[in-house]
Amino acid sequence: MSVMVLLIAAGGTVASAFLVAFIWAVRSGQFDDTGTPPVRILVDERDTQRPASRGSNRVHEQSRS
Amino acid sequence: MSRATLAAELRQALSPHRFLSAAVWIPVPVVAPRSELLQTSWHAVAERHGCAHCGEPCQGDAEFCCDGCASVYGLLQASGLSAFYLCDLPAGVSQRNADAAAWRYRVLDDDPVRSRFVLDDDGRQGRARFGVPGLHCASCVWLLERLGRVDDRLGHTEVDLLRRTVTVTFDSSRIALSEVAGALAAIGYAPLLAGETPALASAGRRRLLMRIGVAGFAFGNIMLFSIPRYANGAPLEDGFQRLFDMLNVALAMPVLFYSASDFFAGAWQAVRRRTVSLDVPIVIGLAALVTRSLVDITTGHGEGYLDSFAGLVFFLLIGRLFQQQAFDWIGFDRTFRSFFPLSVLVQGSDGEETPTPIDRLKPGARIVLRPGEVVPVDARVIDAEARIDYAFLTGEREAAIVLAGNVVRAGGRLLESRCRLQVLREVSQSDLAELWTRRPVAVGRSHWLTGISTAFGGWFVIVSLVLAAVGAMAWWPDTTRSLEVATAVLIIACPCALTLAAPITLGTAMTMLGRRGWYLKDPAVLLDLSRINSVVFDKTGTLTAGGEATVDLPGLRPDEIGRVRALASQSVHPISRALAHSGTTTGTATNVCESAGRGIRGQVDGQTVALGSSAFVNEDCGTPGEGVDVPGTWVAINGVVRGQVIVSAPVRPGIEAAVSMLARTRSVSLLSGDRDASDPRWLRLFGPQTKFRQTPDQKQTLVGALRAQGTRVLMVGDGLNDAGALEAADVGIAVSDETACLVPACDAVVTGARLFALPAVLTYARRARHVVIICFAISVLYNAVGLSLALAGLLSPLVAAVLMPVSSLTVVGTSVGLTRWWARGVPSA
Repeated sequence: MSVMVLLIAAGGTVASAFLVAFIWAVRSGQFDDTGTPPVRILVDERDTQRPASRGSNRVHEQSRS
Repeated sequence: MSRATLAAELRQALSPHRFLSAAVWIPVPVVAPRSELLQTSWHAVAERHGCAHCGEPCQGDAEFCCDGCASVYGLLQASGLSAFYLCDLPAGVSQRNADAAAWRYRVLDDDPVRSRFVLDDDGRQGRARFGVPGLHCASCVWLLERLGRVDDRLGHTEVDLLRRTVTVTFDSSRIALSEVAGALAAIGYAPLLAGETPALASAGRRRLLMRIGVAGFAFGNIMLFSIPRYANGAPLEDGFQRLFDMLNVALAMPVLFYSASDFFAGAWQAVRRRTVSLDVPIVIGLAALVTRSLVDITTGHGEGYLDSFAGLVFFLLIGRLFQQQAFDWIGFDRTFRSFFPLSVLVQGSDGEETPTPIDRLKPGARIVLRPGEVVPVDARVIDAEARIDYAFLTGEREAAIVLAGNVVRAGGRLLESRCRLQVLREVSQSDLAELWTRRPVAVGRSHWLTGISTAFGGWFVIVSLVLAAVGAMAWWPDTTRSLEVATAVLIIACPCALTLAAPITLGTAMTMLGRRGWYLKDPAVLLDLSRINSVVFDKTGTLTAGGEATVDLPGLRPDEIGRVRALASQSVHPISRALAHSGTTTGTATNVCESAGRGIRGQVDGQTVALGSSAFVNEDCGTPGEGVDVPGTWVAINGVVRGQVIVSAPVRPGIEAAVSMLARTRSVSLLSGDRDASDPRWLRLFGPQTKFRQTPDQKQTLVGALRAQGTRVLMVGDGLNDAGALEAADVGIAVSDETACLVPACDAVVTGARLFALPAVLTYARRARHVVIICFAISVLYNAVGLSLALAGLLSPLVAAVLMPVSSLTVVGTSVGLTRWWARGVPSA
C-alpha cells in the first residue's frame, strides 16, 4: 500500500503546482480584464501601414479575385 | 469592379455569421472615396444616410455630421488606420459635441491633477490611465491599441473595454500628458477629466479569485480523500483513515481562515453594528459544519463534513464573484458628467495664463475665456466688450453685448473673440448655483422596490435563523440529520437572488438606455419614470434644436433679401451665417465694415445695407425708428429700417409624433420662456396646455402645482433656464446639444437628437419595473421550494450551496435577458 502514499504525494504535488500556477496567473493580472481580449482578436493583425494610394488598389484587386 | 459587386461583398463580409471572412477581409486598408464605398454598401444596407465616421444623421448630402468627425476621418486615413471603418460600422463616436480643443487638457500638466492619471513615470517612459466613455466596440479597441501610429511619441496602449479605460505608454521626455489626452481626443475618444480617477476594480477581484482558487483546490482534494470512505461504506484501514482525515483537516484550514474570511468579517461587522447581514446565517452554517467535523474527527466518530464545507465556501464565493461581475458591468457605464469646463485659464500678474480648476477660483482673479466657453462664475468684463449668448438662461437665442466693467452672469457662453473677465464671487455663490440649490424640500424620490432588497433581506435572515432552529429541533434525536437540515436551511434561505433583482435589472436598463443616448443619474430614476402620467416640455432648445436655427426676413422683397444675404455672407456671426445659407445671394458686397458684436454694413448693388442690433442700424437712419429699440437683429436698406430678422429654430425631427403619442396616454403640456406665442404648431400639439412667457420661477411653481394635484410629473427641459422646474418634477430630463453646456441636478440627460424616443423610454421604464417584480417572484419561489425541501431533510448543505449560485444565475439571467430584450423597443442611435 505504500504506492498509495506515493500517489497521494504525486497527486498533491501536481494539484499544488496548478494552484500555484493559478495564483500566479491571478497575481499577474491575467484575470483582470476578461472583456477586452475576446474582442481584441476579432480584428485581424495582418494590416500594415501602407501608403494611402496603394490601399485603394488593393481593395479592387482583392474583390476581383 | 462595379459598385454593386463591392456592395455585395461588403454586405457579405459584414454580416455576423460570415465573421471569419470578415476578419480576413477587413485588414485591407481601404482608401476609396468614402462616398463611393460606404454609401453603396453599409449605408445601403442600413437604408439611411449617416456620417461616415459615426453614422449619425447628416444635414443634406454631407458626408460627415460635423467638422470633428471629418477631421477624425481624415486623420485615420492619413495614418493608414482606415480599416477601423470596416470592422463594425458605424464605429466612430460622434464628434458633434466633442470639444477637442487641446487647451482643455492643459490642466493635466498640473502636478496634482497629473498624478491622478499617471500610473508610473521614470522620466523617459510614463504610463497613464484615462477613462474614455466613448469606447464601445471591437473597432474602438483596435484603433486605440494602434495609437502609436497616430503619434510616434506614444507607445503601447491597452484598452479595457468593460471598464472603459485606456492605459497609454508615452515618452514622457517628449510629450506632455495634456498632449496624450489631446491625441486621444483627436481620434475621437475624449478622455474624462472630471470625477474620480478611472477605478481599477481588479484588486478586489484578484483577492476574490484567489480565494475561489484556494477553496476549489481544497474542495477537490478533500473530495478525493473522502471518496474512499464513501465507496467503502465504512472507515478504511486504520492508518489510511487517520491520514486522510488529517489531510482533510489540513486542506480545510486555508478554506476556513483564508477563503471564508470575508464571510466572517462581514458577519462580525454586522454583529458589532447590531444588525443582521446576509453573512450571519452563512457564518453560523459554516461554523456548525466545521465544529462538528473537527469533533467527529478528533473523537474518531466519523469523517465529518469537510467536503461539504469546502464546497459550500467554493460555491458561495462563485456566487459572490458573479454578483460582483454583474455590478461591475453596470457600474462602468455611468460616466456622463463633466459638462462644465473643468478648468479656466487664469491670468497671473505677469500675464501668464495657467489653467486652474474652477473650484479654486478666488474672487478678484482674472480669467481668460475663449469663444464657446461657458462663463463659470459671475464675472466683470475687463476687455472692451464681450458677446455673451444667454440662451441657456433666458431661452432667447441672441447674443448680448456686455461692455467693459459690466457683469456677465454665470452660464452665459462667450461668442467670437476671447475675453478677459474678473471673477466676482466664489463659484458656489453664483446665480446659477443659487437657482439650482433652491430646491423644494423633501422631494420624495424613493420607491418601495429599491428599499425592498435591504428590508426584505434583513427579515429573511431572521426568519431563516428561526426556521433553522425549528428544523434542527424537529430532527433533534438524529444529530447528523439535525445539523444537515439546519445548515441547509441557513444556506438556502440566503436571499442573494432577491437582493440582486432590483439593482441588476435597473442597472442593466440604465446601461441599455445609456447606449441609446439616454443617461440616467441613478437606476432608481427608472422606477419614477415608469409611473409618470404627466409630461411637461420646455420649448427652446428642447423641442426645437438650438443650433439649427432658420432665419426669415418678412416684409422684404426677394431681391432685397438676396442683397442682405450677400452682406451676411461676409460675416461669421451665427445669425449672419444662417442668413447667408438661407438662399441665393444677389450682387456682391463691397466696402464691408463689421463692427464686432454690433453689426455689419456694406454696399450691395449700390445700396447701403446694414444688419445688426437696433442701435447699430439706427445709426444709418439718423432718427431712431419706431419700435426699433428692442432686442433682435434688424435690417436697414438705404437708411430705412426694413424689418427684423426672425430667427426660428426648427422642431427636432420626430418630436411632433412623439408628443402626440404621449398625449394618448398621458397629459402633455408646454411651458416656454419665449415671448412668441403666435406659432400655431404648438397650440395644435399641446392644445390649451401651452403657456408662454414663463420665467424659470413660474415654471417651477407650475410643475410644483401639478405635483400637488397628485400627478407624477416628468419635466423635459434644456437644463439651465428651467433648472428649478426640472428639480421640482418627479423626474427631470435635461436635453442637451453641447457638452460645453452645464446641466444642473437633473435626473437624466439626453441629446436632443434622441428626444423623439421619449415614449419608448417611458414604456421601457414600465417594463423594467415589471422585470424587477418577475425576478422577485422567481427568487421567492426558489427560497420557498428550497426551504421546504431543506426542512423536510431532503436537501444536503452541499446541494443547497450549489442551488444558491444557480438561483442567482436564474434571477440575473432573467433580469438581464428581459431587460435587454425589451430595450430593442427603444430606438438606438
